[in-house]
Amino acid sequence: MTKTILVVDDSRVSRLLSRQFILESHPDWTIVEAVTGEDAVDKLATVIPDMILLDVNMPGMGGIAAVAKIREISTTVPICLLTANVQEATREKAHSMGVQFAEKPITQARIDNILSTLENA
Amino acid sequence: MFQLTELQHDALVELFNQGVGQAASAMSQIVHEEVTMSVPTIEFHTRAEVAQALGSVESRRICAVTQTYQGAFNTDAMLMFPEEKSLEIVRLMVGQALTPEELTEMEQEAMNEIGNIILNSCMSTLANIAGKELHGSLPMYRIGTSEQIFGASGGQWNGMVLTLKIDFNIEKHHINGYVAFLLDLTALQDLQSYLDQYLSGLMS
Repeated sequence: MTKTILVVDDSRVSRLLSRQFILESHPDWTIVEAVTGEDAVDKLATVIPDMILLDVNMPGMGGIAAVAKIREISTTVPICLLTANVQEATREKAHSMGVQFAEKPITQARIDNILSTLENA
Repeated sequence: MFQLTELQHDALVELFNQGVGQAASAMSQIVHEEVTMSVPTIEFHTRAEVAQALGSVESRRICAVTQTYQGAFNTDAMLMFPEEKSLEIVRLMVGQALTPEELTEMEQEAMNEIGNIILNSCMSTLANIAGKELHGSLPMYRIGTSEQIFGASGGQWNGMVLTLKIDFNIEKHHINGYVAFLLDLTALQDLQSYLDQYLSGLMS
């Protein structure tokens, strides 16, 4: 079943790599991009994603603040923080907010692992 | 004059060694090649000497990604490559997904992201080992001679600066660069306390 993934990252290269790796495994899935936390929240007015991949360190609203805003809109959409900030403190924040955590650099294996929870949903 | 004890010096090298190991692993995943990194060298310099000390072999132009970290201690972390190699590194990262024109257009953003991943990898290791949190700024990209780069970075410091320099090598593509960390005197006192806590944790 086709899915929609919202990729939120201020880095165009990271968005490109995420898109490339998602479509490599799921050519029929739809990718929507947002460049900041604010942009992601705005996009949710028109898009209902099956999963959100969310960078942490972004200008304006970062990923941690964005999780709280997104949860006001949807309490159920799966979110995965995809970040270079691999500090335990960040992992713990992700855990306490009930969202997944994955390390950058973005690789095919990491993307496949993140999306594996959706494949049979 | 600020000095580290022999034990603090050893602990600092060991901590950064672990950080560098993670950074090498991250870089290797980015470029899909083996990356080797040197043991960190630690030196003290005046701010005016830093460009010469870190860039002595770099009379050519370099590109640098800088992030400032604050928390358990404050530091300017820098990733530097020869300017003429940056496009090649970006190509290794994104593969054949982009046309040469797109690649050139994205070069700066891609280098920022590479710097973000590598510097965060190293600094996160340091934070995790000590159980402290470090807050990093967004990455900043610069191109110029080493004097221009170091003049622009942290120019507010006039006193002694500790530099940690780690050389890295992507052998198959003959790409050499380095990662450097600059700490001013105030940060050094915090660093000393961070090292003492780390050492006391080891000995308890």
